[in-house]
Amino acid sequence: MTRFGRTTLLLLGLALGLSAPGARLHAQEESHKPTSEVAHDLVAPGTQAQANRNQIDIVHHIGNAHEVEIPFLGVYHLPRFAPLHIGGLTIDFSPTKHLVFMLLSAVLVAVVFVTSARAVARAQAQGRPAKGFAGAMEATALYIRQEVILPNVGHHGEGFVPYLLTLFFFILAMNLLGLLPWGATATGNIAVTAALALMAFITIEIAGMRALGAKGYLGTIFYLPPGLPTALKPIMLIIMTPVEIIGKLSKPFALAVRLFANMTAGHVLVLALIGLTFLFQSWVVGGVASILATAIMLLELFVAFLQAFVFTLLTSVFIGLMRAEH
Amino acid sequence: MKQSLVVAFMLALAAVPAAGAQEEHAAGPLTVEGGLMIWTLVVFGLLLLILRKFAWPAILGAVEAREQALERQLAEAEQNRVESARLLEEHKQLVTDARSQAHGIVVEARQHADKERAVALEKTKQEQGELLARARREIAGERDRAIADLRREAVDLSLAAASKLIGERLGSETDRKVVLDYLATLDTGR
Repeated sequence: MTRFGRTTLLLLGLALGLSAPGARLHAQEESHKPTSEVAHDLVAPGTQAQANRNQIDIVHHIGNAHEVEIPFLGVYHLPRFAPLHIGGLTIDFSPTKHLVFMLLSAVLVAVVFVTSARAVARAQAQGRPAKGFAGAMEATALYIRQEVILPNVGHHGEGFVPYLLTLFFFILAMNLLGLLPWGATATGNIAVTAALALMAFITIEIAGMRALGAKGYLGTIFYLPPGLPTALKPIMLIIMTPVEIIGKLSKPFALAVRLFANMTAGHVLVLALIGLTFLFQSWVVGGVASILATAIMLLELFVAFLQAFVFTLLTSVFIGLMRAEH
Repeated sequence: MKQSLVVAFMLALAAVPAAGAQEEHAAGPLTVEGGLMIWTLVVFGLLLLILRKFAWPAILGAVEAREQALERQLAEAEQNRVESARLLEEHKQLVTDARSQAHGIVVEARQHADKERAVALEKTKQEQGELLARARREIAGERDRAIADLRREAVDLSLAAASKLIGERLGSETDRKVVLDYLATLDTGR
């Protein structure tokens, strides 16, 4: 057998393995919402009955839920808390699938880096560089610090390094856990990315206030170019102040939507490809779809790293821009 | 095969509006869950605290220490550079000062020497003049004396000759006066 053939077989096996959770999901969907017409809307299948039988509810899969699927053990229903009413807002603090995976990511990152830090400290005490996994984590963290954070944040940006490093690895862990079978992508939830972007926004603005002082910071909102005639100043303020504020808000908005959309789109694509197998019930379509889904999964693996990198890079750039504003 | 590929991509594209259509019923992908936002902030905050305390100092500590040392050395080098530039400037100033001072000294010495020479020359000239004048005076005196002597001699001789000639003794005061008068006319005639 040629090398190419072996690789193809391997990928096929992988894709079949990946499609397994999809199949399980489909089985549950039947009991939950038998009347869902998602598949019918997507492509017109031969018969309605076939469509109902062979569907994957993509939206349910990428969306949040109050239950977590545990491999080989079934579905675990998370506890529900009564929603809190604070002012006019109703906030439901009940744990969800995305929260579980976010916590899992946080624990993963914490465990990985605390143990790596210990290994690095031990190695340094012996006067040699850290080896193995700890060394790799150290090198990654240092790369992000040296090449992404410090050049963009600007002079004396060391104070932002812990925040930005944590941000990178937290997003990366959430992205990667979403690629696991039975996994869920917390960064594919707009609430999660919005919260991260909100934090970035606050960091950027506080960095600006600290670097520019009260007067300099207000100058980034109420922009008046030097040498402007006094008569034009009110007009400038009326026109430019909303523009400046929109400029400030659009950055974190773009951060939130970029991460959310990238994560969601990839998963939708993978699920749609896997869904073809069940829709057409054909070996040919199934094989092709599985190969395609595998290729997209590999792309997703890259995108998981890329989007964590981009979020961190852009936050660094925005902090740097804000600090350098005059 | 090719058709199924197209179908697959169409399906993927169509999935997005389908996702949007569901959002009224349940928690769709575009519903922002406030609780989850707050959870995210809390979880991230805790993670940041833990990593800040237990992970980042050990991982970044060595690099940060090295960077600080480097920065310190750079600052020191810069300070040294400024210091040495200042010293160099100072030395240049000193050299210039010394040179101008030496030049002044040379000029002064030259002026002094010129003056001295002029004075000496003047003095020499004066002495020379004096010597010349004295010599002249002496010469003049000698000459006058010689002339006087010569005259006396001439008078005596001429008187002697004349007395011989006329056979009588001349030499009275009157004779002497005659000769002297004659000589005087010669003197004035000359």
